[in-house]
Amino acid sequence: MKQFRFRIIMILGVLALSIYLLYPTFADIQNENKIEQELAKYKETLIKSNPKISENTFNDMLQVKEDSIMIADPTIRENREKRMKLGLDLQGGMYLVMEVNTAKLLEKLVKNPDEDFKKYLQEAEEEAKVSDEEIVTLLAKKIQASGKRLSRYFGTLREDDADIIARLQEQEADAVTRAIEIISNRVNQYGVSEPNIQKQGARRIIVELPGIAKEEEAKRLLQGSALLEFKLVKESDFTIPIMNRIDEVLAKSLASEEDSLILSDTTSANDLTPEEFAIKHPFYSIAIINPQSPYADAFVKESDKSKVIAYLRRPEVQNVIPDNVEFLFSAKPFTNQDGENIYRLFLVNKEAELTGGVIVDANANIDPQTTEPIVTMQMNSEGAREWARITGSNIDKRCAIVLDHAVYSAPTIQGKIPNGSSRITGMADMNEAKLLQIVLKAGALPAPVDIIEERTVGPSLGQDSINQGFNSTMIGFFLVALFMIFYYKKSGVVADLALFFTVIIIMGVLAGFHATLTLPGIAGIILTIGMAVDANVLIYERIREELATGKTAKASVESGFANSYSAILDSNITTFFTGIILYQFGSGPVQGFALTLMIGIVASLFSAFVVTRLIFDMMVAGGNKINIG
Amino acid sequence: MRVLDNLKIDFVAKRKVAYIISGTLILLGLISIIFRGLELGIDFKGGTDIALKFDNPIDIGEIRSSLDNIGLGNIEVKTFGGESGILVRTELQAVPKNIYSDMVAAIENAIKEYHPGVEMSVSDSSSNSVIFKFADQTVIENISSQLFKNGYQTSRLDDNHLVVRVSLADWIEEALRTKMPGNHFVVQKEDHVGPKIGSELKQDSIIAVVLALIVIMIYLAFRFKFVFALGAVIALFHDVIITLGMFALLHGLIPALNLEISISVVAAFLTLVGYSINDTVVVFDRVRENIKIHKTADLADNINRAINQTMRRTLVTSLTTLFVVTVLLFFGGDVLRGFAFTLFFGIIIGTYSSIFVASPFVYEYVQKSKKRIQF
Repeated sequence: MKQFRFRIIMILGVLALSIYLLYPTFADIQNENKIEQELAKYKETLIKSNPKISENTFNDMLQVKEDSIMIADPTIRENREKRMKLGLDLQGGMYLVMEVNTAKLLEKLVKNPDEDFKKYLQEAEEEAKVSDEEIVTLLAKKIQASGKRLSRYFGTLREDDADIIARLQEQEADAVTRAIEIISNRVNQYGVSEPNIQKQGARRIIVELPGIAKEEEAKRLLQGSALLEFKLVKESDFTIPIMNRIDEVLAKSLASEEDSLILSDTTSANDLTPEEFAIKHPFYSIAIINPQSPYADAFVKESDKSKVIAYLRRPEVQNVIPDNVEFLFSAKPFTNQDGENIYRLFLVNKEAELTGGVIVDANANIDPQTTEPIVTMQMNSEGAREWARITGSNIDKRCAIVLDHAVYSAPTIQGKIPNGSSRITGMADMNEAKLLQIVLKAGALPAPVDIIEERTVGPSLGQDSINQGFNSTMIGFFLVALFMIFYYKKSGVVADLALFFTVIIIMGVLAGFHATLTLPGIAGIILTIGMAVDANVLIYERIREELATGKTAKASVESGFANSYSAILDSNITTFFTGIILYQFGSGPVQGFALTLMIGIVASLFSAFVVTRLIFDMMVAGGNKINIG
Repeated sequence: MRVLDNLKIDFVAKRKVAYIISGTLILLGLISIIFRGLELGIDFKGGTDIALKFDNPIDIGEIRSSLDNIGLGNIEVKTFGGESGILVRTELQAVPKNIYSDMVAAIENAIKEYHPGVEMSVSDSSSNSVIFKFADQTVIENISSQLFKNGYQTSRLDDNHLVVRVSLADWIEEALRTKMPGNHFVVQKEDHVGPKIGSELKQDSIIAVVLALIVIMIYLAFRFKFVFALGAVIALFHDVIITLGMFALLHGLIPALNLEISISVVAAFLTLVGYSINDTVVVFDRVRENIKIHKTADLADNINRAINQTMRRTLVTSLTTLFVVTVLLFFGGDVLRGFAFTLFFGIIIGTYSSIFVASPFVYEYVQKSKKRIQF
C-alpha cells in the first residue's frame, strides 16, 4: 500500500477541502430554514398582540427581529458570507445596465450653444449608435469639419482642440464615477442585501439588486438627479434633551407593547446589567454618545442601524422630535478597534441652508504647506453671497454636506467665507478627499444616466428554477451512473465514483471562489455530468483494447492510461478554449455557465487521471482481474 | 457489455452517401434561414418580455384577444411554464404617447376609488413614471400600499409626492387584470432590453462563435496538421449551420418548444462547438496514432481503422451526454428549453459529423493535393 499513500492523501485532501468549502453553504441553507420558522412564530405573536399594526411597521419589526437573530449567533453571518452565492435568476432580483448619456452631459457643459451645435450633437449621437467611436470624438470631428475651433463651444480660447477633447473625456469619466457614488450611496441607505455595483467599459454601470421587489423604488434609487445640501448640525445642548426624550418614550412604549417579547429575547446572553440597561434605555443602548465629546453625534453599529431607523420612524418618537430638524446617518461607516463598522447619527436642520446647484467646481488636493489632503470648492456669485451670510453667522458651528440624505462630511465653519471659495480640511486620506470632491460635484453637474437593459426575476420563478435545476441534476446523475454500471459493470462503479468526485470538486471550487451559481451554471453542471465520463470512457475502451491483445492486467492498465492521454488532453483543451471565449462573451448567467464548464473539465481530468487510476492500480496490485464490461 | 467489437466498416468508401445527406441538410437549413428566417428574442431585437403566472389555467386565445386592442400594436403571447403561465412580448421601447394619458387616468381612478375626494395633482411626469402630489400627507402611505397591492410599482418620494411607474408592463398587466378579474396572477419576470444592447449583443455573438472557430483551428493546426484543423472547423460549420437551420425550420411550429435565439441559445451553440470538436479530436488523435504505427498503410485504411476503434467511445459519450440533455429538455424548465434543444439536436449532428464529415474531408483533401501525411 505504501506506493499509493501519497495519492490517497492527495485525494482525501481534495475531498476534505471541497467539503470544507461547501460546508458554509450547507449550514446557511439550514440557518435560513431556522430563521424562517422563528420569524413565522414571531409574526403570529405580533399579530395577536397588535392586530391593527400597519404594514410598514410590521415589516420593520420583522426586519429588526431577523437582525437580532443574526446578531445573536455570529456564525450565521459568517456562513452567509462564505456560502456559494445564488445568481439573480435563482434568488430573484433586479439586474440593470445603465449608461451615462454623454450627449446630455455635453449639452450641459457647452457654453453659448447655437443651432449648428445642436445639429452636430444630434448627428454625432446618431452616428455613435452604429460606430465604435465615442460621441466626444465624433462631435469634435464635426465641429472641426465645419471649420470651427472647439473653444467656440467648450473650454477657453487659449486651449487647443486636443486639450479640450481630453478634458471632455475626463468629464465623461468623472460623470461615471459620480453616478456610481450616487447610486451606491442610495442603495446602501435602502438596505439592499449584497448589492453589486460595478463599472463596465468606459461609460456603463451594472447594478445588481438581489431580492428587490418594488421595481419603481429600485429605479428611483438609480435615476434622477442627486440632491446635495448644506445643513447646519444642531449643537449638543439642543440634541441631548431630544435624545433623552426619545429614549424615555421608547422605553415606555416598548415595555407596554411587547414586554413578553423583549424578555424572552434577551434571556440568552450576557449578565443582567447591560440587559437592564437595554430595557431602560432602548435608544442609548444602541445609539451611543461619547460624553467627553463636544458633539452630540451618536455612534451606531452597522448591525443596529436598521433598528435605529425603525425606532426613529415610530409615531411616538416622531412626536418628540421637533418639526424643523431630522436625524441623518453618515454615508460611510468608520471601523473601530474591534473591527466593527460604526455609523454616526447627526441631528441637523431640516431646511437646507444651500443646495449644491451653486457649486461651480470642487477639487481634491494636497495642501503644500501641511501636506494634508484638502478639498477646495468654488461657488457661483449668487451662492457665494448666501454662503458668506451663512458662514458669517454660524462660526464654530458644523455644516453637514448631505447627498441624498446621507452625511458625507460635517466640517466646522472657522470663519466667514466672503468669496465662495472654501477649503475643507481634516480628511483622513486622499481617498476621502477624492470622495468629497465627487460628492460636491454631484450637486453641480448631474450625471445623466439611461437604463439600457433591465431584467427582473420574481422570487417564485427563482425558486422554481432552483427546484428544476436540482431535480435535473439528480435525475441526470442517476441516469448516467446507471448506464455506466449497466455498460461497464464493476468498472462502471469506479467511473461513477470518479463522477461523484467531479461533481463535489466543481461545487467546492464554486464555493471556494465565492462564485455565483446561476441557472445556466446549473445547466453547466448537468452537462458536465454527461461529458465528464468521457475521459473514463476513453481510458476504459483503451484498456479493453490492450487486454484484447493479450497483455497482462498491469500492462493493460498502464498502456491504456498512457495511450489515452493525448486524446483526452487535446480534446479537453479545445473545449476549454471555447469555455474561455464563452466567459469573455457572456454576461452574468452565461459566465456562470462557462465557469462551471471549465471547472468541470479540470475536475473530470483530475478524477480520471488520479481517482480512477488509483483504484485501477490498487485493483491490479491486489491481484484482481481487470474487467471492462 | 460487448457491442460493436471488431467493427470493420469502410467509412471512407461510404463518404459519398454522407455528402448527400449533409448537403441536403445544409441546403434545407440555408433555405429555411433565408426564407423563414430566425426568430430573435428580445436579447437581440430589443423590447419587453413579461412572464406571468395565473392562479387558474388560462386560454391563450382569450388572452390574445384581450390584448389585441390595448393600443400597443402587435403583442405576442406564448405559453410559459405549464398551462397557467404566459409570456407576453412587445417590441415597443416605451409607452406610446396616446396610451400614456389613458394610463395616468387609470391610476387616478384607482386612487380615487381608495380615497374618494382626495386632493391631488400631477406634479411631474417622465417617459416611464408619473409623480402625484397630495395635499394630505397622511393618506400617501395607504395609497402607496393599495396601489402596490393592485400591481402598480409605486414609491413614496417625500412627504407629499408619490411616484408611480408607467411602463408597457403595467399597461399590459392592467389590461389583463380588468379583462380577467377572476384569475389573479403574479409577475414572474420582466425583461427590458434597449435596441443598442441588442445590436451589440448580435455582433458579440457572431464574434464569439467565429473567434472560437479560429482558436480551435490554430490549436489543431499546431497539434496536428493544417488539414486536420481545416477538417475539424468545416465539421463545426456544418454542425452550426444545420442546427441553426433547424431553428429556422421549426420555430413557431412546436408551441411547447420556444425556438428563439436568445443569449442562452448562443451559449448552447458555443458549447456545441466545444462538444463536437471534442468528438472530432478523439478520432483525429487515433488517426494520428495509426499513421505513426502503420506508416505504409493507406490513409483511407488508417482513417477507417481509427473511426472503428473509437466508435464505442463515440457512442457511449454521446449517449451519456444525450441523457443529461434530454433530462434538461424535459425537467429543466422553460428558461433552459431552447438551450437544451440546441444541444440535443447539436450533439446528434456533432457526433455524425465527427465520423462522416471531418475525417472524410481530410481524406479528400489529401487525395486532391497528392501529399503524404506524416507525424
